[in-house]
Amino acid sequence: MMIRVKMLANYREILPPEAINGVVELNVPMGTTVYDAISKFDIPLDDTSVIVLNGLTVELDTPLQEGDMVTAFSAIAGG
Amino acid sequence: MYGWHLKILRVNLTTRKVTTEEVDPKIARDYLGGRGWAIHYMYKEMDPMADPLSPANMLIFATGPLTATPAPTGNRYMVVTKSPLTGALAHSNSGGEFPTWMKRTGFDMFIFEGKASEPVYVLVNEDQVEVRSAAHLWGKDVHETTDILKAETSNDARVACIGQAGENLALMAAIMNDKHRAAARSGVGAVMGSKNLKAVVAMGNKNPPLHDPEGMRALSVETSKNVGVDVKKGSNMRIYGTSYVPQVTNTLGILPTRNFLQGTFEHVHNIDGDALKDNYLIRHTPCYRCPLSCGRLTEVPDGPYKGKGEGPEYETISSLGTGCGVSNLAALVKANYLCNEFGMDTITTGMTIAVAMEMYEKGYLSEEVIGMPLKFGDHDAMIAMIKKMAYMEGFGKDLAMGSYRLAEKYGHPELAVTVRKQEFPGYDPRGSQGMGLLYATSNKGASHMEGDVAYEEVFGVPVKENPLTTEGKPELVKHFEDSFALIDSSGLCVFVAIRYVFNKDRMIWPERLSEMMNLSTGAGYTPEEVMQAADRVYTLERMFLIKAGSGPEHDTLPHRMLHEPLPDGPAKGKVVELDKMLPEFYKKRGWDEKGYPTKEKLMELGLPF
Repeated sequence: MMIRVKMLANYREILPPEAINGVVELNVPMGTTVYDAISKFDIPLDDTSVIVLNGLTVELDTPLQEGDMVTAFSAIAGG
Repeated sequence: MYGWHLKILRVNLTTRKVTTEEVDPKIARDYLGGRGWAIHYMYKEMDPMADPLSPANMLIFATGPLTATPAPTGNRYMVVTKSPLTGALAHSNSGGEFPTWMKRTGFDMFIFEGKASEPVYVLVNEDQVEVRSAAHLWGKDVHETTDILKAETSNDARVACIGQAGENLALMAAIMNDKHRAAARSGVGAVMGSKNLKAVVAMGNKNPPLHDPEGMRALSVETSKNVGVDVKKGSNMRIYGTSYVPQVTNTLGILPTRNFLQGTFEHVHNIDGDALKDNYLIRHTPCYRCPLSCGRLTEVPDGPYKGKGEGPEYETISSLGTGCGVSNLAALVKANYLCNEFGMDTITTGMTIAVAMEMYEKGYLSEEVIGMPLKFGDHDAMIAMIKKMAYMEGFGKDLAMGSYRLAEKYGHPELAVTVRKQEFPGYDPRGSQGMGLLYATSNKGASHMEGDVAYEEVFGVPVKENPLTTEGKPELVKHFEDSFALIDSSGLCVFVAIRYVFNKDRMIWPERLSEMMNLSTGAGYTPEEVMQAADRVYTLERMFLIKAGSGPEHDTLPHRMLHEPLPDGPAKGKVVELDKMLPEFYKKRGWDEKGYPTKEKLMELGLPF
């Protein structure tokens, strides 16, 4: 199934060149979780990163569905 | 005593009498400094029912015990007054260099009273204080005023001033310092204008003596190193500042779009931090002694929006940009420059234009009244409105009263997205419930800077909270309100303080802020004592609001937030569930079920009842 991973701000630097506006598409097997998808990328997987699924706060072991978007950014003081 | 000078400068602009006063060390300790000291004096001396634009209002500039010390980001001051926009309190924070220079005059706080008979500026060069004519400055913008004053005083002086918006008593007028930094919100610049006070110029070499200079230096170096490491691995504030945030809030569906009609903006990529970096960024520009350095010098090199200055920050992008449906980045950058030059709060400016745009599109405001069409997304009309507001020209007179008064005048107050008549910042609370409770109860009307629980609900600092739930939010909001009262009183910037003050259990790290306060002042605070002092400050402010007629009956949210579900994004279908949070919040604050501080709470904090 196809899912998308989006990186914000400086996390975009680790994305492959085919990323558009910080988004890459991935073909992953059924049962892939948020953690499985995001751990393909070299970002900290601790509380210094914020990871959301379709903009929602979820557990990292949540299984993905076709068309889902996983977004990650660095936890840092805001606006 | 150390850290504080324990000295206040009082300037009566009516009589031009200048006096200095000592501060009681117990008051200094109990109210921390900055915002805390200011409310102590306002509550003691001022009639809370006074007209904010009358000579009876007090205008207070206040530094904290960490201002002008080696503490990283110890470069802030507060402007505290009664707000003409809200009728509640204004306490607006700013950094840059002026606050440090102000503290080096040998005074912790300046109090301006009365009203000058003609335009003046006040020069404070240590104990030499002069009230000088500002006739030659009236009508000039912030940049011109700053340049002239430095030329006629000293290049070593630093300037805080108003632009045309403050002179003309526009209710979104800011007080600008070092040209680009703003004590922005709640119309503080209009209060300064009402006193005929164009500028304050500060210079001197009186650094406050520190209780333990070596200890302070060591802790500051260690903290700065930690910040440096985080800047490298984190979102890199030196490149983006806060301009990376539109992507975050758009992802969560809480990016104010077209006067909060939507929570996502389809053209966000055109105006976000990456677009700014790729097109107009020159370099980062830190406040004094800041290891984070989120300010950015930018330039639009050519074309109709040619200009150079600092920013825009997130709050400007979410108000003048997405709030107005504007996707032209060059025009948005130019609008930000104009607001800085005229001396205007970009949030209230942008969101007031946004409500006018909605009213125009719905037929409630005509082209004849406005003087031109005013559709969402029309960036040239947005820029034209800014100029009209600053100069109070034509329809600009209506706009300059802010969105609530504008919408009310033309029959649709329900379209104004305000609390206590102050416009919302850039987090739609329908998708960030804690922010909804904060806006509803804040002592200065809708504001993120009163206790920004978006740090947890949006940014994951110090821990990530689900923004769509209400459970636990009353306690969280109280904690953040007290934390911000502490930070605003200390002289630090929230960007560093919030990350390095609290641990993952949201407990204050004794070795961090309270220890810094002790190294500076020698006051021997425990972490519990500084948090209780912050509670004291917040509660006394609430008492001022009650006496000013801005009490619990105003603890609510506008129609759109309570009754119109978000139509798009991850928070689709949500409204703010305020009634689920408000009673518990009152209880957590030690207030009764109607929202009044209880006698027991006032006694516990040592406040009058």
